[in-house]
Amino acid sequence: MNRFALAFRLPIIVWQGLFFLGPLFFMIAMSFFLVKNYRMEEAFELKNWARMLTRGYVWDSYWYTLGLAASVTVVATLVAFPAAFALAFRVSEATRRWAIFLLIIPFFTSYLVRTFSWYVILAESGVINVGLGTVGLGPYTLLNTPVGTIVGYLTLLLPLVVILQTIALANIDRNLVQAARNLGYPPGRTLFAVIVPLAKTGLIIAALFCFILSFGDFVAPYYLGGSKPPTLPILIIDTTKSGQQWPRAAVVAVMMMLTLFAIAATAIWLAYRKRSAA
Amino acid sequence: MTEPLVILSGVVKRFGDFTAVHHLDLEITAGEFVAIMGPSGCGKTTTLRMIAGLEVPTEGEARISGRLMNAVPVHERDTPMVWQSLALFPFLNARENVEFGLRMRGIGAAERRRRAVQWLERLEIGEFAERNVETLSGGQRQRVALARALVTEPPILLLDEPLSALDAHLIIRMQGVLTRLQRELGITFVYVTHSQSEAFALADRVVIMSRGRIVQVGQPREIYRAPANRFVAEFVGRNNILSGISRGDVIETALGIFPAAGLPAADKPATLVVAADLVRIDRTPTEGAIPCTLISEEFVGATVTLFLEAADGTDLKVQLPERALGDLNLHAGGRFHLSWPADAGHVLAEG
Amino acid sequence: MSARIATALLLGWLLLVFIFIFAPILASVVFSFNSDRFPTIPLGSFTTRWYDTIFADPEIGEAARASIVVSLSTSVIATTLGFATAYTDYRYNFRFKGPYLALILLPPTIPLIIMALAMLAWLSWIGASGQLWSIVIAHSVLTAPFAMAIIRLRLNQIDPNLEAAAWNLGSSEWKALRSVILPFCRPAIISAACLTAAVSFDEFVVAWFVSGLNKTVPVIILEIVQGNIDPQVNAIGSLVFLTSITLVVLAQVFFISRISRT
Repeated sequence: MNRFALAFRLPIIVWQGLFFLGPLFFMIAMSFFLVKNYRMEEAFELKNWARMLTRGYVWDSYWYTLGLAASVTVVATLVAFPAAFALAFRVSEATRRWAIFLLIIPFFTSYLVRTFSWYVILAESGVINVGLGTVGLGPYTLLNTPVGTIVGYLTLLLPLVVILQTIALANIDRNLVQAARNLGYPPGRTLFAVIVPLAKTGLIIAALFCFILSFGDFVAPYYLGGSKPPTLPILIIDTTKSGQQWPRAAVVAVMMMLTLFAIAATAIWLAYRKRSAA
Repeated sequence: MTEPLVILSGVVKRFGDFTAVHHLDLEITAGEFVAIMGPSGCGKTTTLRMIAGLEVPTEGEARISGRLMNAVPVHERDTPMVWQSLALFPFLNARENVEFGLRMRGIGAAERRRRAVQWLERLEIGEFAERNVETLSGGQRQRVALARALVTEPPILLLDEPLSALDAHLIIRMQGVLTRLQRELGITFVYVTHSQSEAFALADRVVIMSRGRIVQVGQPREIYRAPANRFVAEFVGRNNILSGISRGDVIETALGIFPAAGLPAADKPATLVVAADLVRIDRTPTEGAIPCTLISEEFVGATVTLFLEAADGTDLKVQLPERALGDLNLHAGGRFHLSWPADAGHVLAEG
Repeated sequence: MSARIATALLLGWLLLVFIFIFAPILASVVFSFNSDRFPTIPLGSFTTRWYDTIFADPEIGEAARASIVVSLSTSVIATTLGFATAYTDYRYNFRFKGPYLALILLPPTIPLIIMALAMLAWLSWIGASGQLWSIVIAHSVLTAPFAMAIIRLRLNQIDPNLEAAAWNLGSSEWKALRSVILPFCRPAIISAACLTAAVSFDEFVVAWFVSGLNKTVPVIILEIVQGNIDPQVNAIGSLVFLTSITLVVLAQVFFISRISRT
């Protein structure tokens, strides 16, 4: 290989090796380190693992986070689908392109500020409760409830899910949809027998992104959900920031990684599985 | 006798398990217009790319002006190419495209500009010098590509199917431009094409390739009238090809016995090739004629090709001017009789 | 008839989804000019007080400078790495290309909180944490894939003979890169630079972990909102939105529109 080719190939290997693989492998190693007198020491001990895996609160957090991420994945998928369907089948090509451009914007704008904005809108004396108050309703507690939590996660997830679902639906061969209608399928059956199976891969990938994002997010549950028990990301922050127990935080992070690998592998298998010839 | 400009000797090119070019020998004289022709995948473009240095021969030697070129990188050669896609730089205007080669040779801006404009004018597109190349027509873009390749005054120009994207009437005009340029400049043109009409119209010498090998080299007329083997006979022109056995001065085929010159020794297999335009067609039987049924006809301009079938199922073709159809009273299923003069047949010493 | 009702319902739902997505952005901008200390309706009077406070606040000024330095440096490094990888992927085939591409493309699939902990731990271990450039390092890893993807899409549109044509006309590989590949990719490179800068400018999880005492704007926001409801956040947030949206629109103008048109 000549110098030219090497000059383009090598930098990313060195950079990502040093600053992407390095941190990840170090974190795994760190989960076996010990902390003595607030200082981390290299070791290979199972103490952190033994401690974390035998604590009830860790498992409470684990199942809560898993359940929460799964629920918001379902909610976001269902909320996004009609919107994506409308964008894919009920508007012009130009409108769709504009809509997708608009949906890209939130992806690059501060999620933190948007969450704070919801905090203000949902508060006891916020816009919604004041509005409802003028017609004699409320006030309702919206913050630190499942409603608040869902709103927070949807703020994070909706733009991306709508984009991914729209792309999946818009790429379906229209002739197949026409053919189904032509064969006398009512719209409902066309949706579930033709459209959803054809867009399956894209829809599952969109849901997988939802799950990954919500599983790792701490802003929505912390600020809008009043997370109790804490979710795993909040547990990592607490353990790292206040307790100085980095190795224990690493145990939680590795648990999260393993869970995500398992879920991603399953989702990808489902997404690309060919239908059996039944 | 001067040494040839380009010499390929024993050149082999392999891509992994696939051999694109098998042991190829070819010499190209300075000032010659050579066309390399063959069906897609025959190795013609690979051969051209080896001359340009875009591919390095796996085996054998490539020499230009006597110098061994195998290890000389592309950019150190003076072998400009006109690409099938033209490969004009979309972010440069016509003049800047033409200046590119001069800029890479470190020639000053004013001189570059002068020479580029001169070439654009020579190719009659001077008025488009400052235009974005993407706004030019196919023929204009073609001329920009030619000017860009020729501006450095190279000893050789390589052309890779340069006219394949043009309309039929533009192809004829560009053929005229190419012929004139080559004659005026007196440099070598190596022209790769799958089109027989382009190769035969332009080239002094045609190289026919098939499956990575050269199957015939010769002047267009020579190849047309005396194909060297069955592949060339099928690929070039419209030929009737009859397998048979030599009986000394006649050949015995399934359709009858025909006199022919140049046959191999008696009882050896041989093939008789008769060009479709030399076949005579009649309504009424004549001595030794083959009775046939008309299957279909094809009109290209003033020339008509008739496709017929003999009693044993052999396909035969006749080509004749449209005005000669006269009183033949053509209709599918009609019965006709085909014959040809004894000197029309060309013999191949193979089965 | 029922089909039209269904269409109307679908479009209505679509509108609701868009309102939900853009309501917080609009609310933030509106409340940033509202005089009341607690943002609610009916609105108080128009004021630029919150902007005056943040412009007068030296800590926020320092954070803004830090954010600009970090996002610009990140953008340069990530775009360079992204370009090199996109070009390698475009031009070469080699063994282990799959793992090679995975190396650059995987970071966005790993939750930020995990990357944050891993980066913090590793950078402290090798003595590189707590600096502004610690954030730059981390952000380059996270954003290089975006730059790679955008530039790779542009290279998909190039005539594969263009580079060879340059060699054929006497350019060495380096010269051809500079005089053909770079000009061809320029819109994508500018676009990638804008988008990576925008992502870096907004990122707060990893920045919060590895920055030590150096705070970027999003980290300041994080600290303010941890305390209480402070309308300053709306003002900072609106400025952050403005910056990011400008960068995204620039990226769109330069490139995304060109991709979608062809």
